[in-house]
Amino acid sequence: MHRLEPLPEHIIVAFENHGIEPSDVVLCAATDLDRNGNFAEEWLVATREKLCFLSGETISPPQRMARRSNHRKQQWRETGYREIALADMEELKADTLNGNGVLMATVKGQPEILCRYSNTMSRKFGQVTRLVSKLMEDKELTDADFTEEVYRPTCPTCGLLYPDSARQVCPKCLDRRALFLRVLSFLPKYKKEVTLILLCMLASSGMQIASPYLGGRILFDEVLTPGGRYSGQLLPMLLLMAALQLLSVGLSICYGRVNAGLTARVVFDLKTQVFAAMQRLSLGFFTSRETGNLMTRVNQDAIHLQYFFHDGFPYFIVNAVNLTGVMTVMIIMNWRLALLVLIPVPIIIYAVRNVFPKLWSVFSRRHRRTSALNSMVNDSLTGIRVVKAFGKEETETRRFAARNKDVFAINMRAGYITSTLFPAMSFVMNVGGLIVWSVGGWDVLTDRMSFGTLWTFIGYLGMLYGPLEFMTHIVDWWSSCMNSAQRIFEILDAVPDVAEKIDAISIPRIEGRIEMENVVFGYEPGKPVLKDITLSVEPGEMLGVIGYSGAGKSTLANLISRLYDPQEGCVKIDGHDVRDLRIADLRNQIGMVLQETFLFAGTIAENVAYAKPDATVEDIIQACKVAQAHDFIVKLPNGYETMIGHRGQNLSGGERQRLAIARAILHNPRILILDEATASVDTETEQGIQEGLERLVEGRTTIAIAHRLSTLRNADKLVVMDKGKIVEMGTHEELLELKGHYYKMLENQRQALKIRGVDVSEQELAGRRVG
Amino acid sequence: MNRNSREEGLAEYAHINYLKPEECRFSLTDGGFLSLTLNTETYPVVFAYRAFPLSFGDMYISIRDEKDKEIGIIRDLAEFPCDQQELIRLELERRYFTPVITSVIKMKEEFGYIYWEVNTDRGMRRFTTRGSHDSILPISEHRLLIMDVGGNRFEIEDFRTLSPKIAKQIEALM
Repeated sequence: MHRLEPLPEHIIVAFENHGIEPSDVVLCAATDLDRNGNFAEEWLVATREKLCFLSGETISPPQRMARRSNHRKQQWRETGYREIALADMEELKADTLNGNGVLMATVKGQPEILCRYSNTMSRKFGQVTRLVSKLMEDKELTDADFTEEVYRPTCPTCGLLYPDSARQVCPKCLDRRALFLRVLSFLPKYKKEVTLILLCMLASSGMQIASPYLGGRILFDEVLTPGGRYSGQLLPMLLLMAALQLLSVGLSICYGRVNAGLTARVVFDLKTQVFAAMQRLSLGFFTSRETGNLMTRVNQDAIHLQYFFHDGFPYFIVNAVNLTGVMTVMIIMNWRLALLVLIPVPIIIYAVRNVFPKLWSVFSRRHRRTSALNSMVNDSLTGIRVVKAFGKEETETRRFAARNKDVFAINMRAGYITSTLFPAMSFVMNVGGLIVWSVGGWDVLTDRMSFGTLWTFIGYLGMLYGPLEFMTHIVDWWSSCMNSAQRIFEILDAVPDVAEKIDAISIPRIEGRIEMENVVFGYEPGKPVLKDITLSVEPGEMLGVIGYSGAGKSTLANLISRLYDPQEGCVKIDGHDVRDLRIADLRNQIGMVLQETFLFAGTIAENVAYAKPDATVEDIIQACKVAQAHDFIVKLPNGYETMIGHRGQNLSGGERQRLAIARAILHNPRILILDEATASVDTETEQGIQEGLERLVEGRTTIAIAHRLSTLRNADKLVVMDKGKIVEMGTHEELLELKGHYYKMLENQRQALKIRGVDVSEQELAGRRVG
Repeated sequence: MNRNSREEGLAEYAHINYLKPEECRFSLTDGGFLSLTLNTETYPVVFAYRAFPLSFGDMYISIRDEKDKEIGIIRDLAEFPCDQQELIRLELERRYFTPVITSVIKMKEEFGYIYWEVNTDRGMRRFTTRGSHDSILPISEHRLLIMDVGGNRFEIEDFRTLSPKIAKQIEALM
């Protein structure tokens, strides 16, 4: 069984030569770097007993060879082999450096670099580390260990590198047709509008095509020429033309209005769906680096799709109808001349595909340089106090001048290009006219063609080149629209990692017993943040969690409220695994006060009532009173109706924190998590908040995370964490007696207070807990 | 206090230990790590970090022990004997893995991404960058750092030395 990645035939053979049977292999993975940092293919294979590394080289570079894999076998040559007994290894670790990573371990007591890989492979090696570590602990690898999708850098169908490593989506092999149909599936909801639009467009196309014919062929040949079919009937003809034009205008107004409404609604629906889907997703989706990127593009993608509905799709139909219509009429009237008109077409297509992109790139550079200049001005003016304080006015002026010069240079260049390119293009387009005039003119003179036909041709010329330009872009444009659609659908379809079970247990009132059993968790595979955490908190108890930053304290809190699920072990509330509980029940009864208080744009009252929108005004006042926020709120000119958040009233850190506490009090959770709730405020403010906190904590299970130990003076039990593990657990007195981490931290803080002129004896610090 | 003595005072306060070649003996462990004997003290594993990785790759190199504590700073690698330089460079090369692109075989913009196929001093490589300009960081006027979608880094020492067609393509992206 080949696990993680299939072994190519020639590698299997090479490993067999070293006595590794394919049936012994439990895990294998390829790297793309050798130990000296050259691009090469190395294979890592694990059996139950050992870890083996095989390196080799292909005569031609491996990436190119991937496309012609049958050649690869003959040209591969082994260059090295190494094996390490799992029993000799300790502390396997995947370390991320700049641009590459190393897999390292302590082998027979000595740290050793096992292999290297480029950053493209870092996720895979995270998996490898986790799995091999399991083997080192003599655990069996089960199918559950391989549920995570294996990272492949290239598309298996066409060999293209995936542009986004987190999403294995190949833009080339995307099923665009299916996507297109799905995008169109938004439309049936708006059947009436779409039909109306199509009818309008077709009718107006018909009229556009008819108009030069009427104005040329009919007007000149049949009306103005003596002996014509409608000779002399100028007035009815003019009335007909005017009527047609009026109708055409009416149609396009109608079309424009319906279309504007339709697009706005489609995009509105789409954005609402995407936003709802985003809110449904687990926190992990937002915090992972790659998806963060995905999110920023969503808005842009929605705009792309808007173009699709608004400009692209309708214009495509109109242009296609116009092009075929015009060409057909021209060929029927005079096929020779019709073909001659096409002479400039290749030049136009060439220019559109090759010359114009250069101009767009100059334009986009101009845009970027202008933004750079603007942001520099903005920077400098926002920071004017610093500029003046350091007397750097002249430096700033010089900096501005340099940027301004860049903008000037690119503006010149853009000006030169546009003033050359556009006249040249219009000349090329005029060439078509010249051909028609000369050949057609000759035909008119020799009586082979009527002047009306010639005039009609001239009229059609203008309708030919515009749509052609549009059509040359259509493929690129369509691809990019479908890519946008793909990303949007990905979000719509994404399944949250933290999902509720169908038969989830409802738990209307949580008692508040929390247990963690052998919990292992990491945000990235192979990098556990929590290692084997076991603890329990009784209902109504307060557990203090202490540790230096990065010890995994906040992660612990995230698991209790099930923002993430542990990779191993389980978190239980009132004896139920949190994964079996209804998520809404859980979140409704867990409250969090974080270090960074996020206040939404809105009034103070609205912010306090965020978790309980149906709270009465009196409830809100009461909560604020308890949180000691009431006093400062009423002193504000707009009281509880003061706008905060973006562009709102500036509140101090302590004030914001008190609002957060009021929010939690109003929420009235059964389990309360205080994550560094007072870390960002000074000691004095903290004392003010402390009282509010103490009232909040009463009667509920509380997990309080802090590095300022004084915050935890009411804790029933303390847990000291270090590097993802619990190193000490017990009451304050028990931990003091241990003279371990806790004692040391307490001592350190006492020293720190001393520096600030606050002389606190150890007894006093300890005493703060009691009273 | 005159300026000089004040600066000395600051240096003392900052505890910067500029490593002198005669006091240091770097060596390579069997496991592939760098180790250092400084005067009489031996550090079994040390790590090297560049303070100015882009502008002064060989200067101001922070040497740190296993617990990430700074042992000292190498002011200029060139002051050290060649064999020692080589060892430190080996460690630096690993930490700042940035293959230098010597020629571009193909560069194609499609679907909003740029697909590169290049020869580097580390061998041939295909990679993808986002089509936007922030994947190319100009270090100086002609020297470029390129970041691909997987977080890998590549360097072009002077893009004008590449073929004129590629140079133009790159210029358009900057």
